[in-house]
Amino acid sequence: MCSACGFPPAVGHWTDAGGQTPTERLRIRFSRVALLNELLKPLGLGAHDLGVQPGIQISNGMGQTKLCQTLEEAWDQVEILSGTSFDPLNVV
Amino acid sequence: MSSEENRLRLTILGGFLGAGKSTWLRHQLFAETYDQPHVIVNEVAPHAVDDTLLAGARCLDVLAGGCVCCDQKEQMIELLHSICNDRSRMQDVPQTRQLVFEMSGVADPGQVLTAIQNDPILNRHILLEEIIVVVDALHGLEQVRTEPLSRCQIEAADQILITKTDCCDAQTLETLLATLKQLNPASECRASVFGVEEPLPDASSAQPVPLPDLDGQTEEPLSSVSLNLDESGTDVNTWVGFSVWLSAMLHTHGNHMVRVKGVVRTPGGRLLLQSVRKVMQAPEILPDLPLGGERSSDNTVVLIGRGLNHERIHNSLHHVMTKTAN
Repeated sequence: MCSACGFPPAVGHWTDAGGQTPTERLRIRFSRVALLNELLKPLGLGAHDLGVQPGIQISNGMGQTKLCQTLEEAWDQVEILSGTSFDPLNVV
Repeated sequence: MSSEENRLRLTILGGFLGAGKSTWLRHQLFAETYDQPHVIVNEVAPHAVDDTLLAGARCLDVLAGGCVCCDQKEQMIELLHSICNDRSRMQDVPQTRQLVFEMSGVADPGQVLTAIQNDPILNRHILLEEIIVVVDALHGLEQVRTEPLSRCQIEAADQILITKTDCCDAQTLETLLATLKQLNPASECRASVFGVEEPLPDASSAQPVPLPDLDGQTEEPLSSVSLNLDESGTDVNTWVGFSVWLSAMLHTHGNHMVRVKGVVRTPGGRLLLQSVRKVMQAPEILPDLPLGGERSSDNTVVLIGRGLNHERIHNSLHHVMTKTAN
């Protein structure tokens, strides 16, 4: 169990596989939240990654924030917090 | 991630009841196609028969009395755990690196793979190499027409093996080939008689048989979309953009996707991505190519699914990639 986030240890998600060194992994995480923020803006949601702590935070601007272990979980939370689903095919 | 190469390679052998799975496997064991494999046989009948045919395996385990994709799932996971456990404990003894899993005729390979991928231990120890699905040339056409399960199996296949080709006429075989190609355009078809490879006729002019709806499911044939990431570069942004896009696609449209396959170049190495339905396998890191030896198939990912709109998919990926670059 991680004492910072409370998640039990898990296999890395496939989306975390792109980097080998800690620096690369951190760069991937930060540019990922930057992209998520762009994509989630129309839904009124925001994404945040602390960097020092695992997980992606999804918040809805009304005080609700969810800490998600993987990107897959983040998409679930996006649906719950926004009340609609995010369809990548509708991105313009 | 450096331990990836040590994972057990898993070959799943599926196919409808009586398609000839054991016969094929028996010959492969005799011909030593696999390097001292550990074989697991699953049978629906309470008394296993096929295992007696399969001498020549380094190790053989039998799961009898149920199908591994439903009622025997727990036993399967338990057995795989113990195999992985033994393998980790006895590291000084030479170990097999190949696992061949012959499933019962009523099992869905996709379900088994999902169960393995969702298990935190097996996920680290087992790497899917390929799904081979055996189709009987005599009864195959009838099976894909009437059995939803038979279609499920064929759609999950990387390689389709047509058996008993010596017992049917050329026209039936060509129609079967065309039908299989329509069901799963990305798979590779081969023919075999008693495990020995046979040439396949050219079926480019043959017409597939019409496939009726089963259980009210919309049985739109599969189509595939090739995505080329080359133009977007090979840096962190390519991987971030693509992985975010694909994970969202699998989340929203996963039920229409049957397979995703491809190699993506990332800062961490060349990653082999493979998914069956919604489940993405932990990517395998492929060895780097020598300088100048770039593979044209790198950074190309193929999506296979139902009702895929090529234009919308290409546009949406392009938009997401552009947002990443900014």
